[in-house]
Amino acid sequence: MADLDTRTGIPIDRRAVLAGAVAATTLGAIGARPAVAASGVLIDAFTQEAVNFNPLLYVNTGCETAVEYAVFDTLWQLDPQGAFKPNLATEIPSVANGGISADGRTWTVKLRPDVKWHDGQPFTAADVVFTHKVLLDPKVVARSRNGLDHIATIEAVDDHTVKMTLKDDFAPGLVAWQKTSIIPKHVLEHEADINVAPFNSNPIGTGPFVFKTRVAGDRIEFSANPNYHGGAPKLATLVQKFVPDQQTLFAQLQTGQVDIFDVIQGIPPQLAQRARSLPGVKVPMTAQPFVEFIYFNCGKPQFSDKRVRQALLMAVDKKSWAEAVYYGLPAPTLSYLPPSHWAYNSALKDPGHDPQKAAALLDAAGWTAGPDGVRAKDGVRLSFTMSTTAGNKSREQAQQIVQQGWKKIGVDMAIKNMPASVVWGDYTVKSQFDTLMVAWDPLLYPDPDYTDRIHSKLIPAKGGSGSNYVQYENPEIDMLCAKGLATIGNEARLPIYHRIQEILLDDVPFAPIFEFVVPVGVRDRVGGYVVNPYTPCNSWNLAEWTVT
Amino acid sequence: MRRFVLTRLGQAALLLLGASIIGFALMHLAPGGPMAVYTLNPTVSAQDIERIKHVFGLDQPVYVQYAKWATGMATLDWGNSFFGGRPVLGLVLERLPATLLLMGTAMALALVAGVTVGVAAAVRRNRAFDYVTATLALLAMSLPTFWLGLLAIFIFAQVLGWAPAGGMTEVGAGGTLDLSRHLVLPMLVLTAVLVAQWSRYTRSAMIDVLNQDYMRTARAKGLGPARVLLGYGLRSALVPLVTLGGLQLPMLFGGALVTETVFAWPGMGALFVQSLDSRDYPVLMAILMLTAVLVVGGNLLADILSALIDPRIRAAHA
Repeated sequence: MADLDTRTGIPIDRRAVLAGAVAATTLGAIGARPAVAASGVLIDAFTQEAVNFNPLLYVNTGCETAVEYAVFDTLWQLDPQGAFKPNLATEIPSVANGGISADGRTWTVKLRPDVKWHDGQPFTAADVVFTHKVLLDPKVVARSRNGLDHIATIEAVDDHTVKMTLKDDFAPGLVAWQKTSIIPKHVLEHEADINVAPFNSNPIGTGPFVFKTRVAGDRIEFSANPNYHGGAPKLATLVQKFVPDQQTLFAQLQTGQVDIFDVIQGIPPQLAQRARSLPGVKVPMTAQPFVEFIYFNCGKPQFSDKRVRQALLMAVDKKSWAEAVYYGLPAPTLSYLPPSHWAYNSALKDPGHDPQKAAALLDAAGWTAGPDGVRAKDGVRLSFTMSTTAGNKSREQAQQIVQQGWKKIGVDMAIKNMPASVVWGDYTVKSQFDTLMVAWDPLLYPDPDYTDRIHSKLIPAKGGSGSNYVQYENPEIDMLCAKGLATIGNEARLPIYHRIQEILLDDVPFAPIFEFVVPVGVRDRVGGYVVNPYTPCNSWNLAEWTVT
Repeated sequence: MRRFVLTRLGQAALLLLGASIIGFALMHLAPGGPMAVYTLNPTVSAQDIERIKHVFGLDQPVYVQYAKWATGMATLDWGNSFFGGRPVLGLVLERLPATLLLMGTAMALALVAGVTVGVAAAVRRNRAFDYVTATLALLAMSLPTFWLGLLAIFIFAQVLGWAPAGGMTEVGAGGTLDLSRHLVLPMLVLTAVLVAQWSRYTRSAMIDVLNQDYMRTARAKGLGPARVLLGYGLRSALVPLVTLGGLQLPMLFGGALVTETVFAWPGMGALFVQSLDSRDYPVLMAILMLTAVLVVGGNLLADILSALIDPRIRAAHA
């Protein structure tokens, strides 16, 4: 082991030699300007493996998003402040700059003329139109249409201008395109079946890094794209490493085998303190758009009265939950939005942890204690199950805290956890559960639209096609959702979403607990890693990443 | 002998057909399915889920789905993974070398060490060496492998820094030395478990044989102790060991689920765990069938080898 740097456990010399060699060949091959040469190898590690590199098809948020951000581009991006930044487009369309018509229904997007695909072909408006076409193709297993099904017509006016008209008023249009990476028409237009195209494992994009190789079950390697339109990356080689076990990955961060222990789970909360004490490692906190909820199935007799749901929320010790289980890392929230979001209603009042008031509320609602201490009303016992993914240690502990809190007010909850593939299948979608412990964010986050989860016409158990699994019905909410979607401009939309959050906190179809904030481990040799709460992973600015 | 082999081959084909039907049915009868991965992704709506189900054919009755799968298999079309869209055969083949390397070395090492320890323990029955190896074997078999693996990582990677904490190769390093450094820990953890099995089986088989009359006869004829022990003793004790080897054959290709996951070893076991988590039916069916073929084949091979080694078995089939 004499050739090892004992601090990192990595053969430093070989790594440096490789980095130099890669930089030399990439630059040599493309004959780029002799500016500052990209250098270094950076190893970014995840506990899930990216297997599908087609940005429209993959389903694993986090590791596969990181591949998307390396290889592909969107029309515009979101920076860590939540502001849109032009990427493939030259500017963000708005009514002011004429990009959006006064009625909000016609959009004109100007594209950069200097962008090239990794194979040297020029990027044009035809690629944008093609991407939309693929996304709406019923034979393609696109994970989501990202709201682009609100587009009625889309056409390439010339090589660098796209014009589209909307079917209806749709405020999240900018977010919809921010979530949609553009794919190359010239590579994919003749594919008989895009779902199994070789492109999906050998992608060609316009992004800062070029896909190089993949070692199944182990890693993916990318090399810098010196012609990147956003400026050549400073890093020569980016490696996405797959380490399935969190403990093992933590050990690899400690030994320096990997440079970043990345989202989506991040470092387990019980190891966060130890991570901070590791020499040469920083532990930035990544706020994630996921809010942890207790879902109440309002279609079941136990939960049809909102006073029961209010009482259940009040009997939960949210503080112990966040502190005992998650070491105080999460940020408490009273809404489906994280507290830092621009549309968050900071006037919401926390009902607090108040078992006495909760008990009184249940008494008032007619739920009285039976001989076994469990409350009942009209022959229905206040007894039910709570489900989440089996084996999730943190959630199992949280469930026990919730269970004890409820027991004190005469509510009997049994824990019924199941494997992920079971609990999140029909059991959730067809509203077969009693209660769930689950984390979700809005469909087109960071747009505050929440129609999909709360509109009364979108309950799958009642034939609706949405994600209103709690079977929540409220005509005022339906009206506000429609109004929010039809209103353009953050300021005009703000009062609508404040009111929605106010109603939801009073009705409690789901109890929001906190926003997940996860620690990630970053070794000191890494530069440019900036946490972005508006993207599902922190690889949004890869061209700026460096290693020393 | 030929008739014996042919009959067994016919039975094997029927067994495989049965295994595929039961496997397919169980997989679909079990609650949940591949769509849960999509449900958990917050950008996916219920509408999207219905649409994707239809493209995958998951909205059709199970027997239709089985017929489709079986027709594909008949033409050696293993289908495509639900999540990567890539051909299943390719997915399996690219994981096979890693598993063969890990399991091959661990099993070879375990065979040599286990048989040696087993023979020695049988000869020195009920003495210190026997007790010590029996205790160690019991420990190795009882301790969960994930725990043994994490312990090995903690001691040898984190504290001592002698070996890397998982993975198969280092980025940019490559070469046999790099590979061996990564192989050592998972191989030793697996070997520990396998040695335990081999040594216990060998010990009891040898003890049976040592008490036989022909052993005494061999010694009475004046043969040297080594000749008696290995030429007469071990050879006769081989039959149960060959059976054990046949039963372990599927492991050689199927990999070790836990060890591969703990050490981030990119083999078949890790692929199976990943595919099970996401319920990637085509990949799971492929691994299931491969394992079924190996179980049936391993047993068949063990039977044939036993017959070759042991004239009594040969006579019974004649």
